Amino acid sequence: MDFSIPISLIHANSAVLAAGSIAPDQIPGLGWFTNSLFVAILVLVAVLLFTRMATKRMEMVPGKKQNFVELVVEFLYNQVENIVGKKVAPKAFPLLATIFIFVLASNYAGLIPGVGTIGFGDRQGPLTIAVPDHSGETKAEEVVHDAAAPGVEVNHDDHAAKEHHGAHFTPILRPPTADLNFTLGLACVFMIVWMWLTVREVGVWGFIVHTFGPKGGLEGFLKYALTPIFIFVGLIEIISIVARPVSLSLRLFGNIYAGETLLHTMGGLGATFGLGKVASFVMSVALPLPFYFMEILVGLLQATVFALLCAVFIQLSTAHDEEAH
Amino acid sequence: MEKPDASQENILTSIAESFGVQWGPFLAQVIIILIVFVILNKYAFGPVMGMLEDRRKRIEEGENNLKKIESELANAETKVQEMLDEADGDAERLIAEARESAGVIGEKETQKAIADAQKIRENAAEAAKLEHDRVLSDLKRDFGRMVIDTTSKVTGKVLDDKDQSRINEETAGQVAL
Repeated sequence: MDFSIPISLIHANSAVLAAGSIAPDQIPGLGWFTNSLFVAILVLVAVLLFTRMATKRMEMVPGKKQNFVELVVEFLYNQVENIVGKKVAPKAFPLLATIFIFVLASNYAGLIPGVGTIGFGDRQGPLTIAVPDHSGETKAEEVVHDAAAPGVEVNHDDHAAKEHHGAHFTPILRPPTADLNFTLGLACVFMIVWMWLTVREVGVWGFIVHTFGPKGGLEGFLKYALTPIFIFVGLIEIISIVARPVSLSLRLFGNIYAGETLLHTMGGLGATFGLGKVASFVMSVALPLPFYFMEILVGLLQATVFALLCAVFIQLSTAHDEEAH
Repeated sequence: MEKPDASQENILTSIAESFGVQWGPFLAQVIIILIVFVILNKYAFGPVMGMLEDRRKRIEEGENNLKKIESELANAETKVQEMLDEADGDAERLIAEARESAGVIGEKETQKAIADAQKIRENAAEAAKLEHDRVLSDLKRDFGRMVIDTTSKVTGKVLDDKDQSRINEETAGQVAL
């Protein structure tokens, strides 16, 4: 089976559907430093500033910000405790809450106007600084690029690659959750913590017994007769564990990237249909609006799903078999 | 023809490239995630959980104190009631004693006053009798002298002591007041 065909289809269609490609764009002159990395750092700074502001002077009678943070933290802790149990909750809560908050903030960062639409390239709009000059380097790129990183050369290989795919636009801001590097990183960090928690709670042998051993308190002949089936089920369980980082990361990435694509597609629909400037502008505001509300829900939902699944995975592997005790 | 392993490796590399998965951005994102984890743990979860725990302890302590105060209040009310009852008893006893004492003293004082009054009355009667006798004596003497003077003037006779004494006695005998 040749996988190159569907991948080339992704390449070919991504430029048409989305404002950015399916892969994060490198900011010219900064090597592998991508636009999603840039937004991730902005989100990090925002989280840092808000938490410092809210918890700098903790008081017994809380102010508005402290009250909000306490509400969120207490709510999340109760949810985590309900899923993973009282014993594991103190250890699992910091990571699960971090996952939820960071993913939610990153998802909503993608809804800030300008994210995914401000950048360098051939596209034009009411706020275009300079019109591309197709005789050589684009003037728009030069203007914005010079402003962003003076004296840095444009990566010609990147340009060639983008021109090859038909679209020539590099957004300067991209939500981190629309980058597989971020979602995969998050899933990998979770899996490492999951492994540590599991070994700490049930031990390596306990995990093996929990995975491959007979379940349901079987005894006698039936226990030995069904052992091969339980071993087979354990193998399937191992495969599902190995697949978890991939499924977690692709689910989040796919949903948020699709949302971004949807918003950009709706925003550019007027221009795609070749309508006038005024009609295109009105449609670029009106058409994405309903989808913005949907994306607010999707952002919350995906953050919840990611954190919830992580909590469930922890619960499944750290739950002690009652018959064993 | 490529080996299967090499083909799979190419597929994975191709997928990774298509999605823009690279070691640099991947590790950078992991580091950012860990930094956010550390920040939230240090500045949000730690202080907030600590504050929630402190508040929970304080509420628990407050409830315990409230129970203690309620218990102490009930004890104090019982004690106050006991003291009031005791004070009432003491007051009644004191009042009864005072009444009894006042009765005895009053009787004694009344008797004393009666005795004093009787004595004063007797003294006054005696003084009045002495005064009466003295006045009567003076009156008799004056009356006798007047009779002697009158007799000597009427008779033209100078009365000697004997006559005077006799007249006095007769006059005094006739003026029996």
